Amino acid sequence: MSTQLKVKENAVGEEAKASGKAALRPVEARVITVAVAGNPNSGKSTLINAIAGSRLHVGNWAGVTVEKKEAELEFGGRKIRLVDLPGTYSLSPYTQEEIVARDYLVHERPDLIINVVDATNLERNLYLTVQIQELGIPMVMALNIYDEAEAKGYRIDVEGIEKMLGITVIPTSATKKSGLDDLLRSVLKTADDLAGHAPKKLNYGEDIEGAADFVAQALRKSHPALLERYPQRWLLLKLMEQDSHVMKELDLGRYDFLDQALQHLKKAHGEDIESIMADARYSLASGLTREILQKPELRQMELTEKIDRVVLNRFLGIPIFLAAMWLLFKLTFDLSAPFGEWIGAMTEGPFKRWAAAILGTIGAPDWTVSLVNDGVIAGVGFVLVFVPVIFAMMFFITFLEGSGYMARAAFVMDRTMHSIGLHGKSFIPMLLGFGCNVPGIYATRTLENPKDKVLTALLVPLMSCGARLPVYVLFVGAFFPNNSGTVIWSLYIMGIFLAVMMGLVFKKTLFRGEAPMFIMELPPYRMPSFSSLCLHTWEKGKHFLFKAGTYIFAVSILVWFMLNLPWGVEQKRDSYLGKAGAVIAPIFEPVGFGTWEAASSLITGVIAKEIVVGTMGEIYAPKHEEKEDAPTLGEDLKEIVVSFGTAAKTAVTTLLYIPGEAEEEEDQSALKQAIMAGFTPLSSYAFMAFVLLYMPCMIVGVAMRQEFGTWKWMAVGFVYQTVLAWTVALIIYQGGTFLGLGG
Amino acid sequence: MGVSDLIIAALILAGTVYILYRSLWKKKGHCGGCDGGSCDKK
Repeated sequence: MSTQLKVKENAVGEEAKASGKAALRPVEARVITVAVAGNPNSGKSTLINAIAGSRLHVGNWAGVTVEKKEAELEFGGRKIRLVDLPGTYSLSPYTQEEIVARDYLVHERPDLIINVVDATNLERNLYLTVQIQELGIPMVMALNIYDEAEAKGYRIDVEGIEKMLGITVIPTSATKKSGLDDLLRSVLKTADDLAGHAPKKLNYGEDIEGAADFVAQALRKSHPALLERYPQRWLLLKLMEQDSHVMKELDLGRYDFLDQALQHLKKAHGEDIESIMADARYSLASGLTREILQKPELRQMELTEKIDRVVLNRFLGIPIFLAAMWLLFKLTFDLSAPFGEWIGAMTEGPFKRWAAAILGTIGAPDWTVSLVNDGVIAGVGFVLVFVPVIFAMMFFITFLEGSGYMARAAFVMDRTMHSIGLHGKSFIPMLLGFGCNVPGIYATRTLENPKDKVLTALLVPLMSCGARLPVYVLFVGAFFPNNSGTVIWSLYIMGIFLAVMMGLVFKKTLFRGEAPMFIMELPPYRMPSFSSLCLHTWEKGKHFLFKAGTYIFAVSILVWFMLNLPWGVEQKRDSYLGKAGAVIAPIFEPVGFGTWEAASSLITGVIAKEIVVGTMGEIYAPKHEEKEDAPTLGEDLKEIVVSFGTAAKTAVTTLLYIPGEAEEEEDQSALKQAIMAGFTPLSSYAFMAFVLLYMPCMIVGVAMRQEFGTWKWMAVGFVYQTVLAWTVALIIYQGGTFLGLGG
Repeated sequence: MGVSDLIIAALILAGTVYILYRSLWKKKGHCGGCDGGSCDKK
């Protein structure tokens, strides 16, 4: 059914030319700006990484790119600036990603767009393509993951897409780096003739096109400047859709000509205008897909489906997730523990000897030797001991992300969280929080509802980030050496469990409201490349090295001063830090660690959780003594190389479970011995739980302030987490003591 | 503890506070390790 609006002249006929005004700028002498747009998980970031070698964060799950990011490269003697836009399914104004992507495309007008399309998922991806076409910006399509589509037996008529959309289409595989040069050549070719590469105007049917012409004509009379400011066709369609974001931005109010056009469409289709437009776009995307895609008639069940049948099973899903996490910790510790001990031995021995020798040579005062050895090396060194553990864990987490399993974990948890009234999508920022809570806080932007954003940000710090790991490793090494993986796994699970429980409490009190439904994309399983794994492990892990080199270093010096002031203090307990710790120590008496040493470590740990270990390293550091029979530099270097070889051998034999090689000797460091004297297994577990849960580090607090524009939620988070931490530690310690586990 | 010791200690402390200010406060929630990650600001 169609009706006709009276239109005197075709006002939108020259859409492509008008929208390509930016296209007329000369390009040879300047940087070509290329926006990279596409669906979540279509491989945009991987594509940019493959092209430019930049290190954008890539994961095999939807929503990794929250904001636009840039990379620059030179190709064919020309400079190209790639702007990686957040993955979106459409350009509607409902999510932060959609708003960021479309604001950039509309207001900053890149020279051209690379539309990354997942060739294995054409119909859904083309829905976005159709909307990008509305902007009239020249486009090159990267038909990505083409290799997988071919392997599935899909036959895609590439030329057909080019003809129908009026754009260049290049089959690519970002992971295998194929088709990338062709893509860049097409970008340059398009950039050299932008006006000649304006995409085709797609026809949405007589009614919509007629209404659009009618609105354009009226708008030309009443608001001619608007048609210059915005891509014309896009603006018309958005006005007809009554797009809330555009209406607010233009402050147009109600106009008769708009009402007339909308009434006309409503009469013709009997639906609301948003549905009419969505239908028109879907029809085009679907029709296009039918034209250009041939799938094999009978397809065997794919590997992804086979694995998902088990992994996503209603009853097996959560146990498999828990087992995967347990395996992750087991592998992490088996692989990394020997290297941690190697670093520990280096910092304890050669590094301290070398520092003392250098300072002695330059005639530095005695107290500076103590500052370096008992402050900096004891503080920073004890954190560096745990770098291998952190990197190993980041490696395995990156593997799970890249393989596609983390998206399944979120899906499995989504069902659980939704069943108790929580937003399932919230689990994605929480999973990101396993690496570092800060990106988890920023990832809350992917949530639509402001209440859900704040709620999720309050829960993210309950996820055990890498910074807590040094504390766990130190304590399990002392008290649970044979079950280290299992004990640490239990702490991670405790964090997830309490996040779910606190989410439920908040949802019933501070954040009442319905949990909206959300569709989670489950990407196919892929084997991440080793180089990509190493790259992203480094990206995640370098954060900890950065911290060790900056504020852990600085805090170690401050702690040393606080442990040695007033000047000449004999007992560390009488120092400023010791006295401060002693003041709050009684608070921790009921939870099993009411000593000034533990309390002092918790005070400094507010800056960063690793500092708990660094401070303990300084508090328990033995007095530095010059040994008469100290080894020579050559002997030290030889020992470092030999002990590294031994560590590597131990890691391999432990990992492969080769019997007879494990050494049972108890080589406890001074710190471990001191901790064993000050804690029991039960109180150490309560202490680890407290460190997991008590107020997040300062960086997380500041990130929350940045994200929500107020200190209020940071304060709420600090208070509720500290109360929760104390309560949980109390239950563990008193409950354990009651059950006779307190020895 | 002589005057030179006091001066050295004061310089070390000033440097320490400056590092803390730069890495914690000035960057306002930007985590130094995730320049290319999702914690970048617009």
